[in-house]
Amino acid sequence: MLAVRALAKRYAGPANRAVLEGVDLDLASGEYVAIMGESGAGKSTLLNLIAGLDRPDAGSVAVGGTDLAALDDDALTLLRRERMGFVFQAFHVLPYLTVAQNVGLPLRLLRVGDRDAGARVQAMLDAVGLGERAGAMPRELSGGEVQRVAIARALVHRPMLVLADEPTGNLDPDSAAAVLALLRDQVKARAAAGILVTHSLAAAGTADRILVLSRGGLRERGA
Amino acid sequence: MTATASDAVAVLRGALAQNRARALVAVLAIALGVALGLAVQLINQSAVNELAQGVRTIAGDADLSVRGPRGGFDEQVFAALARDPEVAVASPVVEADVRVAGRADPLRVLGIDLFRAAAIQPGLFPEGGERYDALRPDTIFLSNAARAWLGLDRGGTLVLQPGLREVPLRVAGTVPGAGGQRLAVMDIAGAQVAFDRLGRVSRVDLRVAPGADVGRVRQRIAATLPPGVDVDRPQASLRATESVSRSYRVNLFVLALVALFTGGLLVFTTQALSVVRRRPQLALLRVLGVTRGRLAALVALEGALIGAAGGVLGLAAGYAIARVAVGVVGADLGSGFFRGVEPAIAVDPATLAVFLALAVAAAVAGSVAPAREAARAAPAAALRAGDEESALARLRAPWRGLAVIAAGALLAWLPPVGGLPLAGYGAIAALLVGTLLLMPWLSVALLARLPPPRSAPAALALAQLRGAPGQVTVSLAAIVASVSLMVSMAIMVTSFRTSLDAWLGRVLPADVYLRVPLADTGALSEAEQGRLAALPGVARAEFLREEQLLLDPARPRVVVIARPLPDGEAEAKLPLVAPAAARATRAPPSLWVNEAMVDLYGFVPGRTVTLPLAGREAAFVVAGVWRDYGRPQGAVQLDRGVYVALTGDRSVTNAALWLAPGADADAVRAAARAALPGGERLDVARSGEIRRLSLAAFDRTFAITYALEFASMAIGLVGLSSAFGALVLARRREFGVLRHLGMTRAQVARMLATEGVTTAAIGVGAGLALGAAISVILIHVVNRQSFHWGMDVAVPWLQLAAFAAVVVALATLTAVASGRQAMGADVVRAVKEDW
Amino acid sequence: MRRRAFLAVPLALAAARAGADGGYPQVLPGATLAFPRDHGSHPAYRTEWWYVTGRVHAAGGRELGVQVTFFRNRPNVAEDSPSAFAPRQLVFAHAAIADPVLGRLRHDQRASRAMFGLAGAREETTHAWIGDWSFALEGATYRARVPTRGFALDLAFEAVQPLLLQGVAGYSRKGPLPRQASWYYSRPQLAVRGSVDVDGRRSTVEGRAWLDHEWSSEVMAADAVGWDWIGVNLDDGGALMAFRMRDRAGGALWAGGAQRAADGTTRIFDPADVLFVPGRRWTSPRTGYAYPVEFGVRAGDAEYEVRPLMDDQELDSSASTGTVYWEGAVRLRGGGRTIGHGYLELTGYGSTLRI
Repeated sequence: MLAVRALAKRYAGPANRAVLEGVDLDLASGEYVAIMGESGAGKSTLLNLIAGLDRPDAGSVAVGGTDLAALDDDALTLLRRERMGFVFQAFHVLPYLTVAQNVGLPLRLLRVGDRDAGARVQAMLDAVGLGERAGAMPRELSGGEVQRVAIARALVHRPMLVLADEPTGNLDPDSAAAVLALLRDQVKARAAAGILVTHSLAAAGTADRILVLSRGGLRERGA
Repeated sequence: MTATASDAVAVLRGALAQNRARALVAVLAIALGVALGLAVQLINQSAVNELAQGVRTIAGDADLSVRGPRGGFDEQVFAALARDPEVAVASPVVEADVRVAGRADPLRVLGIDLFRAAAIQPGLFPEGGERYDALRPDTIFLSNAARAWLGLDRGGTLVLQPGLREVPLRVAGTVPGAGGQRLAVMDIAGAQVAFDRLGRVSRVDLRVAPGADVGRVRQRIAATLPPGVDVDRPQASLRATESVSRSYRVNLFVLALVALFTGGLLVFTTQALSVVRRRPQLALLRVLGVTRGRLAALVALEGALIGAAGGVLGLAAGYAIARVAVGVVGADLGSGFFRGVEPAIAVDPATLAVFLALAVAAAVAGSVAPAREAARAAPAAALRAGDEESALARLRAPWRGLAVIAAGALLAWLPPVGGLPLAGYGAIAALLVGTLLLMPWLSVALLARLPPPRSAPAALALAQLRGAPGQVTVSLAAIVASVSLMVSMAIMVTSFRTSLDAWLGRVLPADVYLRVPLADTGALSEAEQGRLAALPGVARAEFLREEQLLLDPARPRVVVIARPLPDGEAEAKLPLVAPAAARATRAPPSLWVNEAMVDLYGFVPGRTVTLPLAGREAAFVVAGVWRDYGRPQGAVQLDRGVYVALTGDRSVTNAALWLAPGADADAVRAAARAALPGGERLDVARSGEIRRLSLAAFDRTFAITYALEFASMAIGLVGLSSAFGALVLARRREFGVLRHLGMTRAQVARMLATEGVTTAAIGVGAGLALGAAISVILIHVVNRQSFHWGMDVAVPWLQLAAFAAVVVALATLTAVASGRQAMGADVVRAVKEDW
Repeated sequence: MRRRAFLAVPLALAAARAGADGGYPQVLPGATLAFPRDHGSHPAYRTEWWYVTGRVHAAGGRELGVQVTFFRNRPNVAEDSPSAFAPRQLVFAHAAIADPVLGRLRHDQRASRAMFGLAGAREETTHAWIGDWSFALEGATYRARVPTRGFALDLAFEAVQPLLLQGVAGYSRKGPLPRQASWYYSRPQLAVRGSVDVDGRRSTVEGRAWLDHEWSSEVMAADAVGWDWIGVNLDDGGALMAFRMRDRAGGALWAGGAQRAADGTTRIFDPADVLFVPGRRWTSPRTGYAYPVEFGVRAGDAEYEVRPLMDDQELDSSASTGTVYWEGAVRLRGGGRTIGHGYLELTGYGSTLRI
């Protein structure tokens, strides 16, 4: 599903620091991994490269067999639209759209018909426990609820790959646990591959396996 | 930690620095408004000061001035006044604006009795002559301004051209007391002869005897004066002179205030957006212990700083503009009202202070709503993301806006105040403010009615606009204001020009027109009329006598036009506003009045009125009202047969010639000039030329108006652009999310373009509607009350459509450009800017 | 108000320069004056005046000098103008009160062209007026009415003695050329009765006065700068007039005069008979001009001393005739005692009487 090979990225600047040096990562459908690392270890860089939002200096990323290097910006955007879902640390839902509209946004971009989209959005909201709040505006929701909207949006179009970047960073421990469980369940339920980037060992514990990013390379925790 | 005011100031200063570009735009907008307002004010003030100086020079220390028709009144009136025991000094003056050989502008020449003028009008005292020069009929004394203008010094010869004659005069000296006035002084006896005024004087200035009560003397004297001659304090003639141009000056001033108002709206936009953007910061300040009042004061203070900066900049620019404008276009700003006045721009601190205060007030007023908003927000809610819109939700109730609009509609029905359409201006301001208050509600209503778009970007754009109508409104305020004013001016000017053009067609039916230049110094005799009528190529000739009568000493003289106008023909010859009233048999002769006579003197159709003709009151019935774009001071027309019967005066000042088929207009013009002694000095023009010149003068007059309008339009666009820029910048994270979700750059750009088009369309639409409403007030209230002429509404559809399209296009481009700027490579990282 | 010289001329008195303008009749000997016609004005001549000066006493015994003058001037411009305002004839008037208590002159002046009957000078007999100022002969009595802002004179001057024709039957020569002359007669010892209003207080007055009526076209020789003149009513009923025309150096260009004894015997003086010896000078604080306010005068074989009633009798008439001169009440002393009262006139001590 996801094949990352010898991925390298350095940032220009006086230090000319190598952030990633020869990262390899394979992920099968239904597989859910956590990536940990210290601040500045390159976790976000890795996620951006996998999402096609940034270009590597060396190595390759293939999603569902498609090599990202071969795609231009628009094609990458299409790829993201169809095959990926994102959950961010901050509650990045659009404030002027209702819960249902926010969740339906990916379907809308994929031109799914209104009726079909409506059913899928409602099913998705039911799945994340917000079936009753479809018409609410984001500002009426609690932090945990907003993040559940984000998870619903990340999964509603059945992406192959879900990328979650510290999705519980802004939540209290109880909400965090619920959101993490929900994320894991939904990724699994839809047979997607999932990557959870986190600081928290407790959060990472919800994943199938834990990888650690340090000194440019990716290793199994404890390996 | 304790939060002090200086901490708060530091935070705000940081924000202001962040907002530097927008703050700068607001400063410039305020500066532009102040500059234009101050420039107009300074130029007018200087011109009016010069006029006042002129009146002071001419009337001197007189307690009372006796004035009458432009052509003067019986000199025996002077003799009687001079004998009056309560009159200490009576100084007779013969006054004429006389053409000077080789000059376009006339020269004001005052014929005085220096023995009497010396006691009252020291400013007119001639100096530098040889013995008796000041008494000779063939000498003249020039003020410094006139000397510089004519390039003549002592010993030179000044050739005056009164009527069709030519009078050479020796320049014998100067009039040092006349200051900057362009005038010349000669002996009254010489002036009577030179200007064909034997037996008549133009004015008599009086000093009452010590101990006599000026008001009582005035009343007593007024009762003894013949019809058409009146006595008033000299200031009245200043008011009369000044009133001719006052409406024009007030109009310009109001336009300049509009620019300032637009600047205030920009401050509002800037501050509202900046408050919205800084909600978390401001909330933090509240949490740290800054009181509500202090927070509001700080935001208002920011506004005041913007206003003060703009004000100071504007004062400097205004002064510079005034200096340059007076040098280039003249003190009348192209209106032709202050010919012959060369004012020096004088700045008094009070005026500067007022404009600085206006600037600060406009900016603070623009900051009030945002400041209150900043203070009102509950800190906890404000700290949460996604709360921006609630800050502006308050602006959304329609009732205040509707109430203000209703008040404006009522104001439009009120009469003028002191001859000025103040209520009309109030109505326009109310419509403007009311519409701006209504805009949030209107935006919501309009957006709700838009059909759901198919494409995702468009749907997102609409959702964004629907979700944030407050922000839409804030960015629209300036554009609605400037579009509406531009549109209203365009409609008004087009209506005016169309009506003027049609009117010129009506009033210029003949082929060739002749006029004795500056007709108060000469006229055509009956023999000369006969010679003109008999010219080869002339099929028909019509002669016209023009005179100016004083009906009210506090108003300018009224023009009397006597021409062949027998009952029955008048309707065909005059551009009547309404059908003529039915005539009773044995009624006094018919008088046809222009609209100004109705407004100023109450000469309504059917009324019996009197005119002081040839020193006697003559009765007339007002038979109808004709449209007149030439004489806002008032004009009447009557049949020349009636005029001759009443006055015995068969001379004329103008002639209209109809050509025989095949006759050449230029040949007739040359023949007319050759037919009369001094005929080369006749003004002769074909009707087409007059029409062209009139329209050119019209366009010149409105050039400055358009310049002011464009300035405020530019401010509006800049305001829109800066508002978009701010909003787009604030939405960078949103764009990042959308990119993550799979929106292409092009889709994001389309979304922004849709927002831009929609916003601009709402603004321009509202502006068009408001502008149309304002134009109705301009045409039927402001113009009517200012200039006393009506016009038919003509809408420049094509021009307006093009204008609207251009504004929408510019607004859209602005939106997209702002988006492009905000959509740099970093946008994907913007999703993480939060922490 | 700023004062200005009206005609940029000057005193009509001195207005006639040799050969300056043509068009005026010359004053030449041989003609005979005829009265009352010659009491009236002579509009063809350039300049004419009726000049009355007198010494009066108010009820309390207070001594005042009074002066009333009407000038007529023909500028000889615009004479053919059809305008009623044409300045064919100009009329000026001065009035002054010399009051030793005040220490300077009370003075007012008027100027007008003759027009609309508002100002003029009749030809039939003495009658000149400007507005409500007038000077007229009715029977044997002259009447002066001069209401001004600061004071008012209403005086009757009764002629109790015959006319005194100056020069040769009224032909009074003023310079080396025969045409530099005036027609000139005087009326000494006029009996004055009337009222003087000063500062709102009216006083009945009585006294003696002297009238000069003089008309000319050219009185000043080319190199004359001014003149000194006295006209004195002698206490014994006699009269003395003497004058000299001065040149730039202060010497006499011409001189003349007349003395009539109480019994009526009259002697006319030749230039050689008259000598003016200037004495003490007084400098005006206003103009800075220095006037010899005391004189030794020899007329024929008699010698007199002229002493002013007060020093400051400078008369600023720049707002009408255009000159500043000294015109003041004086006492005439002879043989160590006061023998008469009259007026001293000093012109041309400031700027040269440009003329």
